[in-house]
Parts: sequence; structure tokens; C-alpha cells
Amino acid sequence: MLLDAMMMEPRKGLMGRERERDQFPVGMRVLAVDDDRVCLKVLEGLLRRCQYHVTTTNQAITALKLLRENKDMFDLVISDVHMPDMDGFKLLELVGLEMDLPVIMLSVNGETKTVLKGITHGACDYLLKPVRIEELRNVWQHVVRRKFSNRETNNLDFSKEYSKHPTTDSYHGLSQVASGSSDQGGSRASKKRKEPHREEEDEDEGDDNDNDAQDNDEPSGSKKPRVVWSVELHRKFVAAVNHLGIDKAVPKRILELMNVEKLTRENVASHLQKYRLYLRRLSVVASQQASIAAVFGGRDPFLHMGAFEGLPSYQPFASSAGIPSFNPHGLLSGVGTAAFGLQDLAPSKAIQCASSNGAVSHCIGDTNKFHIANLQENQQANLAQGLTAPLGQPQLQQKWIHQETSDLSSFFSGSALANTMSGTLQRVTSSSLPPVELLECTQIKVGAHSSIRIPPASSGLLESTTKLDASFVAPEQDMDQKGKFPERVTVLPSESLIAADRSKCGTRSSGSTMLLLSDTERHSKYLKFGVASNSRHGIDEMVNGSFNYNGGASVPEQNDVYDFGNSKLHGGFNSSSCNFDGLLNSIIKVENDDVPFADNDLGCELFPLGACI
Amino acid sequence: MAAAMQLNTLMSNMFATGLLDDQFQQLQMLQDPSAPDFVAEVVTLFCEDGERIIGELAKLLDKPAVDFDKVDAFVHQLKGSSASVGAQRVKNTCIQFREFCQGKSRDGCLKTLDAVRNDFYDLRSKFQTMLQLEQQVQASFYPKQ
Repeated sequence: MLLDAMMMEPRKGLMGRERERDQFPVGMRVLAVDDDRVCLKVLEGLLRRCQYHVTTTNQAITALKLLRENKDMFDLVISDVHMPDMDGFKLLELVGLEMDLPVIMLSVNGETKTVLKGITHGACDYLLKPVRIEELRNVWQHVVRRKFSNRETNNLDFSKEYSKHPTTDSYHGLSQVASGSSDQGGSRASKKRKEPHREEEDEDEGDDNDNDAQDNDEPSGSKKPRVVWSVELHRKFVAAVNHLGIDKAVPKRILELMNVEKLTRENVASHLQKYRLYLRRLSVVASQQASIAAVFGGRDPFLHMGAFEGLPSYQPFASSAGIPSFNPHGLLSGVGTAAFGLQDLAPSKAIQCASSNGAVSHCIGDTNKFHIANLQENQQANLAQGLTAPLGQPQLQQKWIHQETSDLSSFFSGSALANTMSGTLQRVTSSSLPPVELLECTQIKVGAHSSIRIPPASSGLLESTTKLDASFVAPEQDMDQKGKFPERVTVLPSESLIAADRSKCGTRSSGSTMLLLSDTERHSKYLKFGVASNSRHGIDEMVNGSFNYNGGASVPEQNDVYDFGNSKLHGGFNSSSCNFDGLLNSIIKVENDDVPFADNDLGCELFPLGACI
Repeated sequence: MAAAMQLNTLMSNMFATGLLDDQFQQLQMLQDPSAPDFVAEVVTLFCEDGERIIGELAKLLDKPAVDFDKVDAFVHQLKGSSASVGAQRVKNTCIQFREFCQGKSRDGCLKTLDAVRNDFYDLRSKFQTMLQLEQQVQASFYPKQ
């Protein structure tokens, strides 16, 4: 029955569309997905009556394809929950991550638990069928709201446009922001999942926006100076957050606690958003690691890949053409971190990390971002971090190492946080790209901090490694005392990684995905918001034929299909030619783009990690 | 005009007997010059899909080992489309149907399937009459010269 009823309205000319956009929400572009033809038709009629521009499809797969082909094509997605080819919730998550578009769920089922599921998966709204037109008339607010927060995150100066709304430029501004922010699906999604916080932030943002509007009146020319979140800054940030409690941490108060000049509430807000993302990811990783750990017990983390072959759920790792030469030992010697998403290594390491709980490795994929090196607490508090391999699904290839230490607060306060892992997140780029470039190991020890970015060039890697070693020397001792894995260890991994990558360079070099797991507990609350159901079955579904976990080679092909967030990485999976540039650009440039990594990360990690919920 | 009056009577009757609810009126409101056949299209789709689903349900329930999940999925779909169209009675019967599905009661399902089928066919024939009358009314407004 399900003919591919993709009916596209004839695209209006550019002029027509421009005109439409000026009268936002008129002309807002909606993609409607519902396998039931009747419902789809009715929905289309209703949306047209609201003067939206409607595209319909009764297949989720088609919808995804459409969205991926051109991220700027739509402003909003409305999707049914029950669809035969893909679960509506999964579509919801994918869209949120990859395209950062608001998604509204639709269903005839209005049970609380189902609605809750929609919310936790990141839906902006949940409507019951039959949908009334009054409800649809208001859906444009979700688009604006998202753009608003994207704007802030991007530090783009659109506030004036909003404040001048409605002007002829307002919608342009909105759409630009939307497209510019399409890379930030992950963070948006995480924001969505924490609605209470989000709303708070939104309110605050609103205030700030007004102020900004007054301050910045010139168009385009004036851009707010980018805030570089140095380790110090992040340390303060984390301290403040921990002090307030992650639930109560609002940008305003964090800003107050941090007491940093020239830091705006918006900067903090966007940083907070990313931070939450990390935490969430950590929790996801933590649960994964826990499961892995359960399997592997306290075995040497550096089991060879072969060891994982047996693990059904980690098949992707098994056969992926990861870094064969990678020697896990280097990475995780003692440190519980070693998430090498890529295929071979990670799993074992990850497990080890989880169990050992002492790894503090900072690998930050992007210095600019959260190069929160891991904080080694003098006392026991170390950040037990497990590196979790982003269960190397091929898709995860493009992970970059990211590390964050939430224990900065303990650093500040001096209290030993016994296994408080704040979010030390490490994401190692997976093999597909010469991810090593993204590898950045930063270690922050109480007071000691070094962040190293690994430049794309392989030679750069060497350098980085060296640096890392040097910097890690000091912490090493501390670590040892605690019996935790010296930070230095972290460095090693990078070396190995580098080496490994080198060997693979050009092909799917396996980036090691290192995830440092923070305290699961702490982030358990985020677990709910994490990968959610998708992670578990999603992967399987995703594989679906187009996606083959086991073979690394297949990944590249799948790129566009179930590419959790990786698609953004410019299809870098293609074996020989890792399109690294795009990835690098998006990840490394903190200045321009606060969130990109989030997307990639989320996309890469969350889902494949599965097992979380 | 006879056709118009007949149409009127028919529609009142359908609403009064609970065959249709105000969702259908919403659909009627959506019809306008830019979508002149909107109602007709929706109704036609509904009739086609409904027919198909009922056929599938009959097949599923005919098997010795009934896959209630699949049955439930189909009923869910029918419920959705009937709700969207405003087919109140069919929708309500679907709700009952789902309960039997969840209870995994084959007999219950079979009985309800009959009820659904009756309601659906009743509605469908009235819809068809409605569409015909509509056409007549339209034709009378735009008589061929």
C-alpha cells in the first residue's frame, strides 16, 4: 500500500519563497511523515490551511533521505509514531541529531508513557490524532525557539533581527540560523531532553537577547568575540556547575559563580548545553562500559580485537578494519580509558576502563571545545573515567576525542570526589578518518594542564604525542599515588593511536574513540535522555541492509542512510579518502562553532553505544 | 435542488447517528478553491485503506496461530485513519478491537472484526453516496451549456 507517496509541491521560485519567508510563519516548510495515507492527507490539508509549505512522504526512510540531501530544505518535521519502516522515535532522534530540526510527534495513542517517550527522544511536541488545526497553527513556535537558542549558541548576532521582528530579514535570519545550526543537532537534542533547564535558559536567553539587540545594532559587521573555553575557564565552569548541582545549574548563576570578566551569560549557556551533552554521553558510555565490563571483567583492557568478536553486540568492532596494529596496551595501561570505537580496540579497553575506574585521560578532540583536561584530584577523587569505545560502529568513525573533566569543581573546592567523574568525555575519532588529527589529549592536573591538538598531518600527530608525554609526566606521579591511571597513560594511547592511525591513514584509520566515563550515577539521570531505545535496537535496525557493522568497508556506503550524525562529517567514511577537512573544521574550530562536535559525537556515539537505556 | 437537499439530509444523518464526528467538519472546512477535491480525496483514501486493512485483519485472524501484535498494529492504523477522517463509530469499534487484541482473545477479535467491518461498510456506502450527491450538486452549479 505504501506507495511512495512523496508529493512535493512545485517549488516556488526563489522570489516567491523569499516573499513567503518574510511573512513567517507563513511559508514555513514542513515535512510530514506518516505511513497512513489518510492521516497524511489530512495533515497536509491542515498544514496548507495554516499556509505552511508542505512536503509529504509516507516513508520514514524517504523522509530521512530528503532531510539529509539538503539540510536547509525544511524548518520542521512532523512525524507519526508508528510506522512500519522505522520507528517514529528513531526518526525523531536522528533528525534531532543530524539536522537539528524541531520534530513533532503525532499519534492516535496518547498514553502518558508514549508521550513521555516522545519527550525523552527529543520531540518538541506531541500531538494526538486527530490533529486540530489550532494546534498546528502554533507549531511555528518550535522552529523559532530552536533557532533562537541556536543563535545564541552560535554567537551569531541575530538578536537584533529577532527584536526587530517582523522585518523582511527576520525570516532570513531565522533560516540562516537554522541552517547554520543544523550542525548542532546533538546539542539541541540534548537541550530538548532537559526541558526544565531548557526553558530556564530560554528565558534567560530572551533577556540577554534584548540586551544584545540594544548593544549591537550594526548588522553583520559586529560579531561578539568568541569565547575560547580554556581549561581554566572550563574548570571554573565545572566547579560552578557542580556547586550548584547539575540540575540547578543555570547560566546566570554559573556566571556569577565563575566571576569571569567578559564572559556573558550566553557564552555560559551555550557551554552548559554542550556540557550537558557530554554528560549525557558519558552516562551512555558508562552504561555501555558497564555492560562491557560485565562481560570482560577485570581483564586486561587491551584485549585484542579478536576478543570482541565473540561479543554479539559489539560485532562492529570485530571485523572492522580498524587499527590492526593498534596496541591497546599503549592506551590503557592502567588507565581505564580506551574507547576505541573503531573496530578493534575499543571494546576491550573500554571495559577495562570502566572497571578500573581510574583512568584519567584527556583527549580532547577539540582543544577549543572542552579541553577540559581531566582533573586529577589530588586525593582520591580522581576522575575515574573509562574510555568507552564508541562501540565502534563504523558510523562512529568520526569521533573525536573529547575530554572533559567535570571534576574541576572538586579541584577548586579541594574536595576529593571519590569517583566523581564529572564529565570526562573522550571521544576518539574513529578510524574512518585520520581521526588522529582530532585527537587531542589534554591533561589537566591540578594546576597542570596541557592541551594538545593533534594536527591533521601525521607528523603533527607525532608532535602531539610528544607533547602529551611531556605534559603528562608530572601528573603521572600523582596518578600513581592514587593508584589511578596516570594521566600519562592517556598520552600513550594517543601515541598508539597515532601510530595506528598512521598505518591506516588514508583508509579508515581507526581513530581511537576514547570515552572517559564519568560517574555513571551522576549521569544516570541523563541516561534516560540518552540514546534511548534507539541505541539498543536502533543499531540493528539501522543496519538494515544498508548498514553493515561488521565490515568497516561498508560504512562508507551507509553514510547517508543511518549515519548518526556522521553524515555531517562530510561523508568522510569513504575508505581511502577520509574527508577529514570538513570534520576537522567543524570540530576543531571552536571559535566558530561551539557545537559541532556535539553533533558528531552524539550522532556517533549515542546510538551505537546502545545499551544504555 | 434535490441533490443538495439529499446531501444535506445525508450529512445530518451521519452526524446524528454518530457515524461521523466534528473532525469531519474540520475536513470540510479545509476544502477550498485551492483544494477543491480535498474531502473527496481523503474519503476515497480512507475507503481504500480501510478496505485493505480489514482484509488483512481477516487474513491474520484466520490463521491457527494469531499474531496479535500484527493485528494490533493494523487496528491501530485503522483507528488512526478513522480518527483523522472523523469516522467516529469505526474508531470506537477499533478501540474495542484493540482491547481484545491485548487480551489475545481470538474470538473477541473475530467478533469485533465483524463489527468493524459492518461499521466500515456502512460508512463507506454513505460516503460514496455523499460523493455522488456532491458531484451532482457541483454539476448543477456549473451546468454544461
